[in-house]
Amino acid sequence: MGAASHYLEDEGIATTGISLVRDNTERMELPRFLWVPFELGRPFGAPDEPDFQRRVLRAALGLLERKDGPVVLEDYPDDAPAGDDDDGPAWSCPVSFAGAAADDGGLVGEVLAELRRLAPWQEMYAARRGRSAPPASGLSHEQIVRGLSALAIGARDPSVATNLPLPEWVRLGCDDLRTWYMEAAQGRPGRATSVELRDWFWRETALARLIGAAAVRIAGSEHPALHMFGRRAMVPRVYMDDLMPGVEPYI
Amino acid sequence: MVRLSDMPEVEAAHLVAKECVPFATRPWVEGPPLAERRVALVTSAGLHRVGDRAFSTVDLSYRVIPNSISTNDLTMTHSSVHFDRTGFREDVNVVFPLDRLRELEGEGEIGSVADYHYSLMGAGWPPEAIEDTMREIAARLREDGVEAVCLCPV
Repeated sequence: MGAASHYLEDEGIATTGISLVRDNTERMELPRFLWVPFELGRPFGAPDEPDFQRRVLRAALGLLERKDGPVVLEDYPDDAPAGDDDDGPAWSCPVSFAGAAADDGGLVGEVLAELRRLAPWQEMYAARRGRSAPPASGLSHEQIVRGLSALAIGARDPSVATNLPLPEWVRLGCDDLRTWYMEAAQGRPGRATSVELRDWFWRETALARLIGAAAVRIAGSEHPALHMFGRRAMVPRVYMDDLMPGVEPYI
Repeated sequence: MVRLSDMPEVEAAHLVAKECVPFATRPWVEGPPLAERRVALVTSAGLHRVGDRAFSTVDLSYRVIPNSISTNDLTMTHSSVHFDRTGFREDVNVVFPLDRLRELEGEGEIGSVADYHYSLMGAGWPPEAIEDTMREIAARLREDGVEAVCLCPV
C-alpha cells in the first residue's frame, strides 16, 4: 500500500493507511501510516469486534489531521482482542482422520473421504452464518481434487474442464477447497484461533498433502512462471518443510 | 502478532527481504477537517463483488466496489496463501471496514463516504508497477469528490 499512498498523494489526494509490517513502511518514508500489531490478514484487529475496528479506523483517519509531514508513522497501542469464548466448549478439529478409509485408494480417495466427513460441519457453518463463500474456480470439488492428483503424479497439463490457464485453476481451485475446509472447521462448536485452523488444515488433512504433492511437481517445472508459482503460491512457507521437502521457499 | 520477532523465521525473512526504497519525491496533501471530508477505502486484499472477474496470480488491474454494496456480497481472490482468511470470512470489516466507515459518517466524524471504493491485488509486483493503476484510480476518486483515502492492506 506504500506505493498506492505515494501515487495518490502525488495526484493531490490525501491518504492515510494501515501498516502491517512496520519496518517496511518506515523504510519507504510514506505520508501517513498507522502500524498495527495484528496478524497478517486482519488489518483492523479481529472479526465481529466492531468497537475495536472502529477505534483502529478512527486512529488511522485521525492521521489526516496531522500537519507535520511528509512522513508520519504512528504505532497503534493495543493488541487485537483474543476473541476467547471462556464459557463455550473448546474447539477441536472437525474429524479424526486416523485410519480414514480411502474408498478408491490413494490420496484422492483420502481427500474425497475427508470431503464427505466434513460436509455436515460445513453445512452447519453455512446455516449459522447464513452464507458460504462463493467458489471462484467454476470447478466441482472432485474436479479440483482429480486435477491436483494428476499434477501430483506428473501430468504437465491435465485435462480439466475450464478455460483458465493452469496456475489460475490450480490457485482458485485450491482456494475453493481450503475455504470450504475452513468453513467446516469453523462449523465445529467452540472458537478456534486462526493458528489452530491453519495448523489443522496444513498439518492434518489429506488435502494439504495433495496440494503439497502437486506443488512439488509444479515447482519442478522448467517454465519459470510455473516454477515460481509452485514455490510461492500453493503452500505457506512455514509448512513447506513438511509438505514440499527439498523445495526451497521463495524469499 | 505481526511483530517480526514473533513470526516464524522464514516468514519474517520474506517480509524484510522486500525492496522498500523511498520514492524520489515525498508528496504530502492536507485538507479540510476530517468531519468535512469525503472518504474512500482502497484495499490491496484482492476483494471484489461476487460475480466480478477474479484477480489473477499477478494482477495490476483493479475492481470497483460500490458503497451501496452489502459487505456480505464481497469475496476475495488474493493470490497469497501466507495470511489469515478465516477472520475475513467471519467479518469482512476486519479487512475492509466499510460498515465502520459508514458508522463514522453517521456519527459526523467524517463528512461523507465516497460512492465508490477500489480494490487491488497486492502481490507479485514491485511498488512502482502500480503507478498507472493508481493514477487512473485517482482520476475516478476526484470525479467522486474524494478528499481522503484510507489504505487497507491485508
